[in-house]
Amino acid sequence: MKRLQLQRWSRSVLSPRARTGGRLQEHLYYSLRRQSTVSTALQAENEQLIEEKSLDPSTRLTKSSKYEYLLPSPPVGAARKSAKLAALHARLYLPSRLPLETLARSLVDASADPHPNFNNESLATLGHDLLSHYTSEHLICKYPRLPITVIFAAMYAYVGPKTLAAMAKEWGVEMAVVPGGEVDPGLLQFKRVLPGTDLDAEPVTGTGRPNEHRTSWRKSMTSRIIYDNEFGDPVKVSAGASAPATVPGSQNTQGVTAEQASATFVRAVMGAIYLHAGRPAAKRFFEQHFLSRHLNISDLFNFSQPARDLSRLCAREGFEPPVAKIISETGRKSRHPVFVVGIFSGQDKLGEGAGASLLEARSRAAVASLKGWYLYSPLNVRVPSSMEEEGAAPWKPVYVDLGEVIV
Amino acid sequence: MPVQGIRAVSTARNGVGAFILQCKRLDFHYCDWAGSSRGMVAFIKHALPSFAKANPQIEIRVSPRPRKHPLIKGHYINGREKAVCVRNFEPEQIFQKANLLKEASGEKLKRTKKPVTSLNESVRGIWSPYHGDIKTV
Amino acid sequence: MATFSTPSKRSFLTLPFLFPPSCESVTLQARRHQCSYRRAKQRLRVRPDASFGASSTHSHEQIIHNPPSSAPPVHHTPTKFLPPDDIRRTLRGASVDHGNSAQLPSVFKTSAEKRYHLNPSDIEEIRKLRLSDPMSWSRWKLAKRFDCSPMFIAMVCEAAPQKKEIQKQVLEAVQSRWGAKRRMAREDRLLRKESWGRDE
Repeated sequence: MKRLQLQRWSRSVLSPRARTGGRLQEHLYYSLRRQSTVSTALQAENEQLIEEKSLDPSTRLTKSSKYEYLLPSPPVGAARKSAKLAALHARLYLPSRLPLETLARSLVDASADPHPNFNNESLATLGHDLLSHYTSEHLICKYPRLPITVIFAAMYAYVGPKTLAAMAKEWGVEMAVVPGGEVDPGLLQFKRVLPGTDLDAEPVTGTGRPNEHRTSWRKSMTSRIIYDNEFGDPVKVSAGASAPATVPGSQNTQGVTAEQASATFVRAVMGAIYLHAGRPAAKRFFEQHFLSRHLNISDLFNFSQPARDLSRLCAREGFEPPVAKIISETGRKSRHPVFVVGIFSGQDKLGEGAGASLLEARSRAAVASLKGWYLYSPLNVRVPSSMEEEGAAPWKPVYVDLGEVIV
Repeated sequence: MPVQGIRAVSTARNGVGAFILQCKRLDFHYCDWAGSSRGMVAFIKHALPSFAKANPQIEIRVSPRPRKHPLIKGHYINGREKAVCVRNFEPEQIFQKANLLKEASGEKLKRTKKPVTSLNESVRGIWSPYHGDIKTV
Repeated sequence: MATFSTPSKRSFLTLPFLFPPSCESVTLQARRHQCSYRRAKQRLRVRPDASFGASSTHSHEQIIHNPPSSAPPVHHTPTKFLPPDDIRRTLRGASVDHGNSAQLPSVFKTSAEKRYHLNPSDIEEIRKLRLSDPMSWSRWKLAKRFDCSPMFIAMVCEAAPQKKEIQKQVLEAVQSRWGAKRRMAREDRLLRKESWGRDE
């Protein structure tokens, strides 16, 4: 028969304030906890520190079972005992050099454990940069003519928070209901937002943009490139972000959504692989899990005035002005006519489209021609990061385009 | 604004890049007393450690279920469960059932009508009467 | 050495599947007694396309380019849009048939050629006329007077604010008389028009 663990059961009933031990004690435990991702020298130092501290009678509690209930996230030692964590490690075919302790750390969100040495914030920052770098170089080298808005959309589709949350779900990561020291370290630990919270209620502030209080002003594409993140979304400037996070015990009152926490976890895994297994393993992981996903780039375009854009494009590139011509048609006087219109520049056909009216067919043909221009892909594409492999062939410059059509 | 981007989410294709085993967890239930669990107890004693070692992706739980028939329950990534009753089974038969649960995708069984299912668009496109070698009658 | 050969349009008489081997000799009644498997098999016995056979003129290796009966895919960049150093430009050179694009009818009746016959003084006059008497000098009238398109008038100058206000009221008056059906039909039409740009 299983031993009943009353203390564990009662934990959900007890409020945080009712728990034994005050802030000071918690602070002490923080200094005792060991990090998973540190150099050996630092670790040795830490161990010395712990040995010194364990002489202190007040820290005898470490031996008791109450110790882990005081922690905001599972202790490092629990990682080796978790079946879920080992299964997740094996399921993702993570390199053996990536220890279980780091995987456990990447499952702890900053909202669960505000201490930067025990949550995944730093790993996620690294992973986020790696993901953005690999995705953007792939997109820009493969489709050198994509407009910036479509690059934003494609980046969002490959490594956006929605995609990363879906990936965490497809990896079989389960979420803890409430984070805590006694929770299985194989569960994703984060503090949830209260039900009924309107996430889009308050406008985004602290973005570092000039005139950000003027919400009615138009945001130009150039300013979005400079101030916003790789998805074209406003990003908060982390000027004083490090100061409150380092204070242990400072409770992050507003939680995060499950989508945000899952996305942070996937980024942290990427960062952890880079740290422990190196650059080639991280690149392979990216190619196998992110780049192998299906995305049809031609579905990401939304033109408002395709015919005008196409004529501007032809004028810029020095082609003959585009002319719409009827290739075939049927039932012009009937209820359901079909026109097939091609757009010709001189003798060459740029694109064609079918529609129920001449205007529709021409518009669709112009869209097809513009997509033909924007979706140009050179042969034998190489990305700059392929030069990091050993024995790489000498670099040949990739195709660089003039840029999108500006009307 | 000449062209706008439409936000989308890329679709997973399990097995194209990486392969994720869809079986997340296997629960083995047995009864110490009942005779129908004799094979299951032998399986847990002798074959389960090697099975678990061969499949590290699967979390394995063993728990008693007194006065009930033995059971293997698979939990899958899509949230579904599959349970197989293994009463009076020999250890080899139980191993086969555990393998079956391991290899299942967790989806409901359905008939596949096409030899290939793909997200990629057709290479030759969708046939249209207005294109190609137009027949003149 | 590889060359491209585009098959020419086949005539009706060279389509073998329309004439099964024993079509003329066997009457309809006799065919009824044939087993359906053999009948189906006979129908499927189609001679391959003329372009697939080894032609006498091309004894060396060749690529048969038989375009599918479908709209061209968007990932197929037109030859004109390829950069000058792209290898596909030379590869495609032989297979491109310029066809009869010059003979195809244009979508619009008027010629698309631009004339650029208005000088800055004319444009000044257009602006002055439109601002001075917006009711009589509409876009259409100005276009007729200066022999250009109303679109050009809209590009050159803007209507006076009071004229805009009047036009807005007229539009509202017209729209207020629309019933539910017409309003929905108009909205649907707008939505359909927006979907053209998304290629849906």
